[in-house]
Amino acid sequence: MKCVLNTGRSVPQGAAVEHKGTDAYRSVASACFLNPIDLMMLGIENGERVRVTTPAGHIVLTACPAEGVTRGECFVTIGPYANHIITSETHGTGMPDFKSQQVDVEPTGEPLKSVGELMEEIGGLRYDRA
Amino acid sequence: MIVRDVICPFCGCLCDDLEIECEGGKIVKVQNGCALAEATFISDTRLPAPIRRTETGWEEISYDEAIKETAEILQDADRPLLYGWSSTHGEAQSVGVHIAERIGAVIDNTSTVCHGPSILAIQEVGHPGCTLGQVKNRADVIIYWGCNPIEAHPRHMSRYTTYATGFFVPDAQRERTVIVVDTRRTDTAGIADEFVQVEHGGDYAVLSALRAIVRGKESVIPAKVAGVAKEQLIRIAEICKNAKFGAIFFGLGLTMSRGKYKNVRNAIELTDALNRHTKFVISPLRGHGNVYGSNEVFTWMTGYPFAVDFARGIAFYNPGETTAVDILRRGECDAALIVASDPGANFPRAAAAHLAKIPTVIIDPHVNATTALSRIHIPCTAAGIDAAGTAYRMDGVPIRLKKVIDRGYPDDAEILKKIYDHLNGGKDL
Repeated sequence: MKCVLNTGRSVPQGAAVEHKGTDAYRSVASACFLNPIDLMMLGIENGERVRVTTPAGHIVLTACPAEGVTRGECFVTIGPYANHIITSETHGTGMPDFKSQQVDVEPTGEPLKSVGELMEEIGGLRYDRA
Repeated sequence: MIVRDVICPFCGCLCDDLEIECEGGKIVKVQNGCALAEATFISDTRLPAPIRRTETGWEEISYDEAIKETAEILQDADRPLLYGWSSTHGEAQSVGVHIAERIGAVIDNTSTVCHGPSILAIQEVGHPGCTLGQVKNRADVIIYWGCNPIEAHPRHMSRYTTYATGFFVPDAQRERTVIVVDTRRTDTAGIADEFVQVEHGGDYAVLSALRAIVRGKESVIPAKVAGVAKEQLIRIAEICKNAKFGAIFFGLGLTMSRGKYKNVRNAIELTDALNRHTKFVISPLRGHGNVYGSNEVFTWMTGYPFAVDFARGIAFYNPGETTAVDILRRGECDAALIVASDPGANFPRAAAAHLAKIPTVIIDPHVNATTALSRIHIPCTAAGIDAAGTAYRMDGVPIRLKKVIDRGYPDDAEILKKIYDHLNGGKDL
């Protein structure tokens, strides 16, 4: 399903922002909010996984229904999960398309990655102190 | 011990009425703060000592060793990038600018991926703004455009707008009209008197339509503009024109979506048009506690608010070229110093990945995603918790952050000053 990726802040994301190694942060930052009808069209339930793909790559997220999200939109809080698939082009402004990235959403059985795993995929090394 | 009138350093509201209870060198209770303030003060887990990445893991090193190695990394670099700065005080930010000038670095702050486009718009058409105190005491129409203060600035509405009792607005809930414009029906939209739901990427068109209506050209507006009915647009324009004092607050819904700084320019020009009828102001809702301060400090020291390049020996500014994401995405910088921020989590993957390819040092109180991409992490005080310093509220008012407790960490300004001294051949700043 083609969608526009919208990102933004939330209170749980802000409260866990200095604890990115924790499960609490992972569950907040990897939640993908979709309109309940889009969730139905995808044939998935609340809490099941989706694979979200862009030209920059793909990421596995947890689908959550949200009435406030319009059809054709998916909302993910700002953070390493959304940024894993956002392209770095800034169109001469310095600002990437954090709120207008075109994505493809499909159901998947793949597991969620931790923030540490995402950083290791790009050459980092986890320092495991939550 | 209870410390009163504490300033919360988390978001740009810099709420200054917190009461913090300390017991045995620890903060145990936060009163008057929001959930974000409570997490900031109470769940404050720090990196205990400087660490350096080895072949297989991490080793603890001394502050002296970490500072010396950082200075060497910066000294050896041809195109160093100094990035972050929004979660620390002005004192540290100013040392950062001195380092950048000394080594010919690019220095950028987090507004580059936040309200950088708002600054570009303000540079084009100006900023008809005011302090939050004016809004609290006078504004009877509030517009939140592309922002969600309930989630991002939880006390903005209770301290300054919807629920705040003002001198000329004694019965705020009845007398203030709140309009929310967004693509999503957020919690903030849920408490608005008027919610305007715009199609994705449609903000520019809706702003243009409102400008046309305010200028008396409603006949040129089609029945719907980016999903918004013409009747609603006319109603909103009337509410605004009949306001005694209107205030627009906007967020990343304008700066990050299609059009970026042109959206903000259009919103400022709508404010201009409304000022032909009544008093109207507009201001960005700034995110990090002292991100506004980083713009202030950079501007009074270099002439430019962010993305300042000292490679030519003088300050040069060209957003899109000298902005951090662009420099990283092009693989241009060969060393990075990150202070009080987390580009590992907040930059697109391709930009963050370059940090792992070059020697990157982070100075930050907390372990974050950038730690994993760095060669060295130097822990320091957190401004407003265990360090005092100056921060600028989202409306440009400087406020002195308090030191509430002592946790035994060095101040980041002090660490940066030592790095500067190394770079300057041991000579003082």
